[in-house]
Amino acid sequence: MSLSPKERLLDTLAKKKVDRPPVICTGGMMNAAVVDVMTRTGHTLPEGHFRSDLMAELATDVNHDTGFENFGIPFCMTVEAEVLGSEIDFGTLACEPKITHESFASNALVQFRDIDTMLDSGRIRQVAEAALLLSRSNPDVPVIGSITGPVSTAASIVDPMTFLKELHKKREDSHRVLDYVSEFLISFARLLVEGGASAICIGDPTATGEILGPRLFQEYAVTYLNKVIDGIHATGVPVLVHICGEMKAVTPSIPKLHSDAISTDAFVNLKLLKEEYPQLTTMGNLSTFLLELGDPDKVSRHTAGLVRDGIDIISPACGLSTASAVGNIQAMTQTVKDGGRGW
Amino acid sequence: MSASERELFQRLSDAVVEMDEDEAVAVANEVVERGIDAYRAIEQGLSAGMERAGQLFDEEEYFIPELLMCSDAMYAGMDVLKPHLRSDEVAEKRKVVIGVVEGDTHDIGKNLVKIMLETSGFAVTDLGRDIPPGRFVETAKEIGADIIALSTLMTTTMEGMGAVVRQLSEEGIRDRFKVIVGGGPISQGFADRIGADGYAVNAADAIRLARSLVAPAEAAA
Repeated sequence: MSLSPKERLLDTLAKKKVDRPPVICTGGMMNAAVVDVMTRTGHTLPEGHFRSDLMAELATDVNHDTGFENFGIPFCMTVEAEVLGSEIDFGTLACEPKITHESFASNALVQFRDIDTMLDSGRIRQVAEAALLLSRSNPDVPVIGSITGPVSTAASIVDPMTFLKELHKKREDSHRVLDYVSEFLISFARLLVEGGASAICIGDPTATGEILGPRLFQEYAVTYLNKVIDGIHATGVPVLVHICGEMKAVTPSIPKLHSDAISTDAFVNLKLLKEEYPQLTTMGNLSTFLLELGDPDKVSRHTAGLVRDGIDIISPACGLSTASAVGNIQAMTQTVKDGGRGW
Repeated sequence: MSASERELFQRLSDAVVEMDEDEAVAVANEVVERGIDAYRAIEQGLSAGMERAGQLFDEEEYFIPELLMCSDAMYAGMDVLKPHLRSDEVAEKRKVVIGVVEGDTHDIGKNLVKIMLETSGFAVTDLGRDIPPGRFVETAKEIGADIIALSTLMTTTMEGMGAVVRQLSEEGIRDRFKVIVGGGPISQGFADRIGADGYAVNAADAIRLARSLVAPAEAAA
């Protein structure tokens, strides 16, 4: 009997043997709501960032049109920063939302708000409600709730230049803010799990080896990612973590993450990473440039290479361009479903 | 150069490398009190230190937080020394307009490039982030820039860089400026495709690129 997409993903994350790797796109920083899909269905952004029904419909469209074997919500990385106090520009159909102004000039100035109150503000409830709608409408497809990692969230509410310097200069303030942000993220993730999310994916693009270097990555990124991961594990669902950028400087820290899978950017050789750390469940890492600028043949060939290399979960390597052609994405997902055959 | 001058310059340079703002200010004050030439203290002390910091960054000894703190120390020392520059020492600098293209608000990379350009003797006008193409062009014309430097971290906003080049061409002033591009999703191939003059993979590379682009004109002058 063949596995449902949800069983396949959860089994993979539990390190059980499966028929073939799942092919997914998590939402959040890896949002697959490309212009092609929205134009066809008329379920569009930025409206879909605000309404749970539209968010669920668009996630369903993405699943249907692209062939990704999951629902991924939300479609941005600003849900957290918004309720923590930052100003957001919600973008357009083709351009994702972004922070226009971080609310605090330094870590010491961060106002610690009541977490329960924050969970009732901004778009938190809408995202949780969308998870509920999706998990009910199609119980065989995993809902992945995407959250922004602690370092990136903190650097979205505190001026990022100051934030980075204070990781050195004002360690206590930095730890206090990261701890607060992590507590909030755990509570947000719990709401998504209560809504029916089968897994949580954490994208933390500011927490990279390139930006932080090995020492600060270990002191802050690993510590607070693990805090959030542990908090989510307590609810019983697995956690995927995506690390952006070149990873060389921090590779030894990667096995220390408590996540159930590790997703990386396109320059990382996942096959070698697996050889070095066989205990890792790897996810990735099809170039998003290829998805945007390549043709279906080439996409298929590269995807087959990832399957052949034994990558556990096939996924884009980074945030997709919203201009990516849906035909390229279909070439990717179909190749995985065909077992990477033909090349 | 006397031994004591050399020692002060070395201490300035070390203060920058060691990210010590207070020490940079203290030594800069000592330079002023002893009537030592501010220009040379900047060149051989603060800028030299920043160059070492940039090298440590290249070698992956330092990362972005460290480089930012080094630059804070450099600017702190600079604030003390600048008022003491003799007017004939305030040379005409090469001018750069820098900013993050419209649609993107990620500016860590841009800020690093700006710091390194200033360290290397360029006068930098920083437009900030989320900047429409027209503002780059207008500002470049206004200040008579040599270089327009464009940054983005998002694939969705890369085309804004092409728009700047196109607008320059449409206005018939493409030759007046060198356009350089950088940021996470940018590549040499992309730079070529939009007709930019150069691509830099990181801040240190951006300095080499900026220098090489303005060098031929200098030789001709």
